[in-house]
Amino acid sequence: MMDEPQRETALKFGSYAFLLAVVTLIVVPLYWMIVAATIPQSELFSSSIPFLPGTQFLTNFEALQNRLNFVRTIWNSTLIAVVYTLLSMLLCSMAGFAFAKYEFKYKEPLFYFVLATLVLPIQALVVPLFLLVSTLDLLNTYLAVILPWAANPLGIFLMRQNMQSLPDALLESARMDGATELQIFYKIALPTMIPSLAALAVILFINQWRLFLYPLVVLQEEAMFTIPIALSQLVGAQRVAFEQIMVGTTLAIVPIALLFIFLQRYFIKGILAGSVKQ
Amino acid sequence: MAQIELTKLRKEFSTEDEYIVAVEDMDLQIEDGEFLVFVGPSGCGKTTTLRCIAGLETATDGQITFDDVDVTDQRARDRDVAMVFQNYALYPHLSVEDNIGFPLRISTKLSTEEIDERVIETAELLGIEELLKQKPKELSGGQQQRVALGRAIIRDPEVFLMDEPLSNLDAKLRSDMRTELQELQQQLDVTTVYVTHDQTEAMAMGDRIAIMDDGMLQQVGTADDVYRQPTNEFVAGFIGSPNINLFTAEVEGETLRGPAGFTYSLDDPSMVEGRERVRVGIRPEDLYVASDGSVPSEINVVEHMGNENFLYAEMGDVELTVRSGSQIRPEENSTVIFGFDEEDLYLFDATTKESIKTKTGETALEHEQFEQAQQ
Repeated sequence: MMDEPQRETALKFGSYAFLLAVVTLIVVPLYWMIVAATIPQSELFSSSIPFLPGTQFLTNFEALQNRLNFVRTIWNSTLIAVVYTLLSMLLCSMAGFAFAKYEFKYKEPLFYFVLATLVLPIQALVVPLFLLVSTLDLLNTYLAVILPWAANPLGIFLMRQNMQSLPDALLESARMDGATELQIFYKIALPTMIPSLAALAVILFINQWRLFLYPLVVLQEEAMFTIPIALSQLVGAQRVAFEQIMVGTTLAIVPIALLFIFLQRYFIKGILAGSVKQ
Repeated sequence: MAQIELTKLRKEFSTEDEYIVAVEDMDLQIEDGEFLVFVGPSGCGKTTTLRCIAGLETATDGQITFDDVDVTDQRARDRDVAMVFQNYALYPHLSVEDNIGFPLRISTKLSTEEIDERVIETAELLGIEELLKQKPKELSGGQQQRVALGRAIIRDPEVFLMDEPLSNLDAKLRSDMRTELQELQQQLDVTTVYVTHDQTEAMAMGDRIAIMDDGMLQQVGTADDVYRQPTNEFVAGFIGSPNINLFTAEVEGETLRGPAGFTYSLDDPSMVEGRERVRVGIRPEDLYVASDGSVPSEINVVEHMGNENFLYAEMGDVELTVRSGSQIRPEENSTVIFGFDEEDLYLFDATTKESIKTKTGETALEHEQFEQAQQ
């Protein structure tokens, strides 16, 4: 039998071992990606597996740039994701605010309708959306990718749930203070929702950043490609340019990591603390 | 400043399967500069009435005017009304300074300097000038309350509305703030409508008190009026602490016969003529020990308050409360006979609960004597 302190130590040891295993599972592929991006492809398939990053990153990147104009690709992806995220945050928080705090006819059915669109798989939407976009003469434009999911049902749902926690008295107080409904929205509701907005921003940005099938259909010119489409071009019938794919992937992860690190400080709880006495 | 008039105000709430009348047939005039307190049990419609005046609820029927201007269909922000909420409703992301200045920034064209100046003036009035840079969550309940007041005051509105603003404070702070609020209201001389469920607060603060029950206005009057001349049994029971003693008595000629041998001969039996029974009300402070009294009772509990004693007794199946001097200390379970003066007796109709007789003692006379003594 173990006594109490021993049990605790064993438990602690066990949980650290588990965490270590999880961290290893996550870190190893990332590390391997970096290694593979910095060595020539020949070494990648040599009998001695390299464990340390090499010095070929720039060479590999140059190859990628020559083949695909990858700088332009990064610019495309960034522009689309940033504009999409900002626009979608605005639309989702407005719709969420309305669903959470206003009374209007058919509010409930409308909300369930929005939720129902979540179950539609993207594959089912690609063809009709393609037809719509081409009718609007938007093929091969950024807008073709940005617009269709700007009013994101998941985002609307998230914002509605969070906006419901906003005390009515706060909005009424602003109304009494002479604020218009629009002022109430951007001067009171939005600032108190910053943590939710930060979480939403990460979700929207990542969703857009990694979108593949739909952009592949509506962006047909290489100059308009986003990162996932561009990288898919590197998978040829004869040769797969692994080292270039890895360089691209490494670069693709950087903005997401930065975004997450930057927004992390907003994920603090309790920004509402002190507004109303419970 | 404004005179507020409510005419036949009615407010209904309907949900899918329910339909509630929150306020019914309310006629009320609130004078310019008056401090009117709405009081009543929870769910009586007092807050709904306040919210109708504020413009946060639209009246189902009836009319609301400010200085003869019909505001019934005006939005809250067009009414020039400031409100203090029960939970203060401070904007959590703004500093105290920005909270107080918010109404001016939103709805006036004042320059930043002018606004800052008025924020400082208001903060000084409320004694919170050193808190201006802090966020609401860093403040105590009393300080948050002051910020909420500041935000209401700074606009210099026509009407102040307060929805139980003191109910979240502890007892000591509450009585301090009560006095402070009254002083502030007198100083600013703004028509104020105040909602509370606490009758002591209502009595202490209001120029007049409006008592509501079940969506209906029961009585409007000064603290003296509602205490001494309640219009019905509900008002008599709601106002006064401890509560008035109430029981049913049979009328036999000029004699009232109640439970457990209660008998009382009325000096003026004309007021109960033609009635079989009435409801009798006697305030705890009007009962005194008297061997020839008409209220025999058995003492259950004696509460010693220091300056006075509360005696809890039973007369048959009726519970009685007696407020007595601290020298009166009967044994528990002993029998004590209490008496009262007829001028202090309340009588109510047994079915309609309307008043038949209320206090008739002349406070005015005693007040005259007091004033003479002062000179």
